[in-house]
Amino acid sequence: MNSSPPSRRSVLRWGAGATGALATLPALTACGQTVGAARTTRQAATRPGQKVNLVFWTWVPMQKTVDLWNRTHPDIHVEMQTIPQNVQGGYQKMHASLTAGNPPDLAQVEYHELPGFMLVNGLTDLSAYGADELRDSYVPWQWNQGVFDGRVRTIPQASGPMGLFYRKDLFEKWGIETPATWAEFEQAARVVKARGGGARLCTFAPNQPSWFAAMCWQRGARWIRTEGDDWIVDMNSDLSREVADFWERMVRDDLVFVGPDMSSAWFRQVQTGQISAWVGPQWGDAMLRSNAPGTKGKWRVAPLPQWTRGDNASANWGGSSTAILQGTRHPREALRFAHWVNTDPEAVDLNISVGYGWPAAAGVFRGSALDKPDPFFGGQRYNDVFTASDRAIDTSWKWSPTTDADFAQFGDAFGAAMAGGGSLAATLAGAQKNTVDNLLAKGLKARSA
Amino acid sequence: MGTAISRTKNRTKNRAEKRTEKRTPGGRRSARPDRAAWTFLLPFVALFLFTFVLPLGYAVYQSMLKPVRSGPLGLGPATVGFAGLDNYSLALQQSAFLESFARVLLFGVVQIPVMLLLATALALALDTLSHRWAGVLRAAYFLPYGVPGVIASILWGFLYVPGVSPVVDLLGRVGLAPDFLGYDNVLWSIANIVIWEFAGYNMLVIVAQLKAIPQELYEAARIDGAGAWQTAIRIKLPLARPALVLTGVFSIIGTLQLFAEPLVIKPLTSSVTSSYTPNLSAYNEAFANNNIYLAAAESVILALVASVLSFGFLSLVNRGKGRDAR
Repeated sequence: MNSSPPSRRSVLRWGAGATGALATLPALTACGQTVGAARTTRQAATRPGQKVNLVFWTWVPMQKTVDLWNRTHPDIHVEMQTIPQNVQGGYQKMHASLTAGNPPDLAQVEYHELPGFMLVNGLTDLSAYGADELRDSYVPWQWNQGVFDGRVRTIPQASGPMGLFYRKDLFEKWGIETPATWAEFEQAARVVKARGGGARLCTFAPNQPSWFAAMCWQRGARWIRTEGDDWIVDMNSDLSREVADFWERMVRDDLVFVGPDMSSAWFRQVQTGQISAWVGPQWGDAMLRSNAPGTKGKWRVAPLPQWTRGDNASANWGGSSTAILQGTRHPREALRFAHWVNTDPEAVDLNISVGYGWPAAAGVFRGSALDKPDPFFGGQRYNDVFTASDRAIDTSWKWSPTTDADFAQFGDAFGAAMAGGGSLAATLAGAQKNTVDNLLAKGLKARSA
Repeated sequence: MGTAISRTKNRTKNRAEKRTEKRTPGGRRSARPDRAAWTFLLPFVALFLFTFVLPLGYAVYQSMLKPVRSGPLGLGPATVGFAGLDNYSLALQQSAFLESFARVLLFGVVQIPVMLLLATALALALDTLSHRWAGVLRAAYFLPYGVPGVIASILWGFLYVPGVSPVVDLLGRVGLAPDFLGYDNVLWSIANIVIWEFAGYNMLVIVAQLKAIPQELYEAARIDGAGAWQTAIRIKLPLARPALVLTGVFSIIGTLQLFAEPLVIKPLTSSVTSSYTPNLSAYNEAFANNNIYLAAAESVILALVASVLSFGFLSLVNRGKGRDAR
């Protein structure tokens, strides 16, 4: 224990070496390291008679459908695990599992999230497992939501064509005709405010940018497009601003409630008739039915109000696919299940009963559970409205691979504008800039339109 | 009266000096106990390295990376490249991220004093109360700490939502229309949850310190003619100072870590943004935006701010203490 203290020079030399090593460390380890899914899909060999187990993550309560599959397919057992809805934790879970290399075999992913999952190589190339042959079983535009660079990446599940849910009894009481245009919609809101005793026609939900996107979609705006390798963001167009101005007037004139929709407070307003209309998607039927059972028989569905009388423009809100995540060991079996769960008539009926949306399978509507007069909607064949709405959707709409982040910032800005007296239209410019920034931060080429 | 109190103080000081004198005669310790101490410390050091230093180092490393895209539209395979300090400058350019710091600082400036005052008042009151009742009440005040933050937030959340909350209903009936989840109020609604959760916990730390005060001091004070109030202000509070400093540091760190409460309240109101607190911002960046490199940079910035603030607070109160002793 008699070592002399190290000389100053040797300390300096050691220090320089260590800093040098530290400096090269990122470069060394970063080289060749890939971003995204830690594991790639590879078909595992199975012996005859071996039972394959699949894990399926979804937030739609589809247990009955899965039970049916397990009864009828003894060789492939599917375990359904309920995950938090979309951005409320579901995607976080999926992304974490992809990075960690332990993803489920199948997961519910909304169409607008697919480009984001592509960016982390999170989806199995299903063309390699014969998915192209299934194409004809699905509605073309929904199928195309999952095709990237000519390769099939996911099996479509359902979409959300939009319509107008309204309380027929209350409309009659207040003498309101079903609005066919947005101008009439605004007029109806004024009548409700005047005669409703504290009620409002509907709610403007700043937390729901995907709803607002659907409104702009109907107006004809297109938020994102590509030119060569560039992503062009165009959220701040005249058409989007027109939609923003309309809803801003509704808010400023106190014609609508402002607050999160599909929340406990909102459901309470729906139950008590404080809200008498909802510009909502087809899957909204299950929302109303299960959360406001006391209003049974009083609801009706009308087509989405139009910007120009006589037009027939519609839009989509939501819509999901059954994705086979990168890293599964049983892509063939997973593909079989994904196809069955979305096209088998019995499965589709069960899915419909729990509100999974508008089926992506072609030609299953006629004769399905959707194609019946519904007591909740006073015996109306309300899905006829959504059939027409579905056909009127312009399917050229595209999503950005950063939709989650874009929407999060968009929702924040909307909330701030509502509270601070800023204008909704002004937030569009900020949203456009944020989206370009998000794309750039991901290492993509992007610019404003 | 004043001289009586200062006499008590002097007595305290003498006693403390005597105690330190007693400990010193051992003189310089030999090397062997040193080695034994290190052996005992080893498990802690190992844990500290693996659960603190290593993750922190890894976060710093991650924060200096970025993805490099390839293929049409950048959707092809991506590799990791060196970003230098790009992520830090990006994080510091995001106004929402900077605002989140301002928000938690404002939160801390208001919430910490209110909570600690409440905790101290409760502790002093319980300390003077007769023993059986003190035990029951102490347990009752401490109880909220046993409720997980998420559950507490759900609970309070329901009390804030209009149409669902009986509180809002009742207040509405008497003509008040409180908007607990409104833009200007929601921060204080969250502060209320945090105070509810932690005031009892902090109270317990202070009570423990009060219990450690030797009974003779109280006797001396009583003989000197100090009442309950005087005893509390002149003896209990100064001697409970270490506990107050400790709870203060905990609260500063806790404020910067604010996460579960706003996350749970978020679906109830659009007033809580996705980057409401620095923690939420990093969480959102990592899991919603799936940009772990930027999230790492934000986390490192948060860790830096937290250490600057807590060490700053410590050195501030210790400087004051040093002057006192002299």
